[in-house]
Amino acid sequence: MSVDEDWTQLRTLLLSPEQTQLDELRDRLDNRAVQPRDVSRVLPEAFAVRGERDPQLATVLTPYVENGFVATIRKSPRAIVDAIAPIMGPAIRQAIARALQGMTQSFNHSLDESLSVRGLRWRLEAWRTGRPFAEVVLLHTLRYRVEQVFLIHRETGLLLHHVGAEGAVVQDQQVLSGMLTAIQSYVRDSFGASPDQTLDHFRVGEWTVWIEQGSHAYLAGVVRGTPPETLREDFQAALDDIHAQQPDALTHFDGDAAPFKATQTCLENCLHAHYEPPPRPSALKLWILGGAMILLLSWWGVMAYQTHARWSNLLVELGTEPGMVVTVAKSTLTGYHLEGLRDPLAKDPSAMVVEAGLEPSSIKAVWSPYYSLDPQLVETRAHSMLHTPKTVKLSVEGDTLVATGSAPIEWVRETRRLATLVPGISLYRDEGLVTTSIPDLLERVNRTVVRFRSGSSIVEPSERAALGAGSMALRELDQAVSQSGQRVRLEVLGSTDDTGSVTRNIQLSKERAHVVLVALGGDQLGEATTVIAGLAQSTDQRGSTGEARDRRIVTLRATLTVANRGNEAARP
Amino acid sequence: MMQKKVCMLGGFAVGKTSLVRRFVSNVFSDHYHTTIGVTVEKKSVTVDDRDVMLVLWDLYGEDEFQRVRDSYLRGSSGYILVMDGTRRATLDAAFALQQTALQTVGTVPFISIINKADVRSEWEIDERTIEQLRERGWTVLFGSAKLGQGVEELFVTLATQIVHAAPIPRDCL
Repeated sequence: MSVDEDWTQLRTLLLSPEQTQLDELRDRLDNRAVQPRDVSRVLPEAFAVRGERDPQLATVLTPYVENGFVATIRKSPRAIVDAIAPIMGPAIRQAIARALQGMTQSFNHSLDESLSVRGLRWRLEAWRTGRPFAEVVLLHTLRYRVEQVFLIHRETGLLLHHVGAEGAVVQDQQVLSGMLTAIQSYVRDSFGASPDQTLDHFRVGEWTVWIEQGSHAYLAGVVRGTPPETLREDFQAALDDIHAQQPDALTHFDGDAAPFKATQTCLENCLHAHYEPPPRPSALKLWILGGAMILLLSWWGVMAYQTHARWSNLLVELGTEPGMVVTVAKSTLTGYHLEGLRDPLAKDPSAMVVEAGLEPSSIKAVWSPYYSLDPQLVETRAHSMLHTPKTVKLSVEGDTLVATGSAPIEWVRETRRLATLVPGISLYRDEGLVTTSIPDLLERVNRTVVRFRSGSSIVEPSERAALGAGSMALRELDQAVSQSGQRVRLEVLGSTDDTGSVTRNIQLSKERAHVVLVALGGDQLGEATTVIAGLAQSTDQRGSTGEARDRRIVTLRATLTVANRGNEAARP
Repeated sequence: MMQKKVCMLGGFAVGKTSLVRRFVSNVFSDHYHTTIGVTVEKKSVTVDDRDVMLVLWDLYGEDEFQRVRDSYLRGSSGYILVMDGTRRATLDAAFALQQTALQTVGTVPFISIINKADVRSEWEIDERTIEQLRERGWTVLFGSAKLGQGVEELFVTLATQIVHAAPIPRDCL
């Protein structure tokens, strides 16, 4: 073994570990490209060191991270959904629950107050001021409501985060944050206060701004109404939580408020609201009100029942009344409404309404005229249209008009022509009607003789038949003459026998004529007859040549005269 | 969206409120209204394709009777020093305010603007003075709230500087 070999062996034995390291270093120097394995060893630490120094790393990485995120969403959206669902789900549920809670609260308040007296007053106020009713209710029943909460960086006065209640008017939050900070500085400096003496609250109209100070941030709550002192504890607790959760972000705040979005829930928990419970009416008032309502309802029920019963009775009456047909009968808000058909000869419906006990003004009736075929009305109509004499009796049998009694020939002829023109009449029968003529009637009248006892002007019972026959004939004559356009002159002539003085006999004759005239009903005769009571001339006395009893008489003398002669002057 | 607090500083009646109103609402009024305390406005600008909301604290003008309170400046990401070119005294007020801001919020980005460029002939601040300001490291812009000149540029430039500025802890200043 040579010396060189020995030396080499010795060197290997002594310097083998160092030689290996030396070889590695030589390799590194020869191959200066950075190996991924080497970078991977230091990458996390390198990020941490550079990230602490400045935001450059985040700026450089942001576009790559964004691109990678977009690519991931496009490639595998399901994975992203699965990842964020546990976070988004509760957040969405909470947001919906808050919205529903607010809406329900507002709705309940509006509903509670919508029917009360003060509710009506507030509704009037809403109408007068043009504000929504729900808002007016809120203003009157609200004790306090935290409408806005600002989280503001204490040193810079910059807004870190802001939450507002539903419906609250939110002004420019960043400017308001700055002004709030400036106002606090101004007040503190003006009074020479120490840094720990701060502006706690201030009041503007119906709003109070409460300020709670933290080490790096302060919380300003805009409260409508009068809040309780316990609210301040809630604010302070929220502020402490935020300081505990975001210590680094608060300490190193450089104007980027993004990290403080995480305080949303914490601040929302400060949005308290407390409403005045609606006053409960006392039990006595409730009973009185209930009793009054029941009495009122009972009275109304009785009145309504009575009115309805009267209405029903009226309908029954109208239904059975000849010449009336009800087609529409209904009750309305203001009363009743009637429609139907009415024969002009039927009973007056207004009178029937009054008879039924109903107020005529409560019934509006519309009647259309028509001809009823009811036998009673047909008979009345026939009497009216045919000018039936009193000696004639008309009756209706089905559609046939039957005339009985006696009548002048002229009336009989006219009636035969006109009878079937009466609505409801198709046939006319007058076989039971006795026809009389004016000469016959004149003769029957003139044949009348009424006898008296000596010295008496009283009509004896035995003479009443004669007087009745004369009276009947006279009336028939009166009607017959009136239809023919002629007039009758009737003289009632009284006479006596020879017994007694002349003066007494003249007086007695006049009395007897007058008594007969009254018995004949001279005043009740038509205008066709002119009546004269007087003394009989001796030559005209029928039976004057007979016995004395035959001269104690009253006779009638009827003659036809020219029409248009007044009869008033001739009456006794 | 990123928010940044920006304070408007300057002597009285230099046009701070006019610049803010021109920037936010694009309106201008010749009538002078003194700002009492602070008025806060906001407007978004776009820097490097990112929207940044500037929350503008328009502070009252400083004069011999009232000093700007430190508390208003705290938390500002930047500020704007406004001077009136026609009044040299407003330059001194700007110096004083810059010192106050430096002590309160540290070396945050700021831009100075000499307002009322529409009446340049009446300016009391000359070119040499402006050059000295730039030598001190100030960004000096010229603008006119009345004409809208340089207003958009003013706020966008400051927003850009704020966004690009790395946060530096105050205790390292």
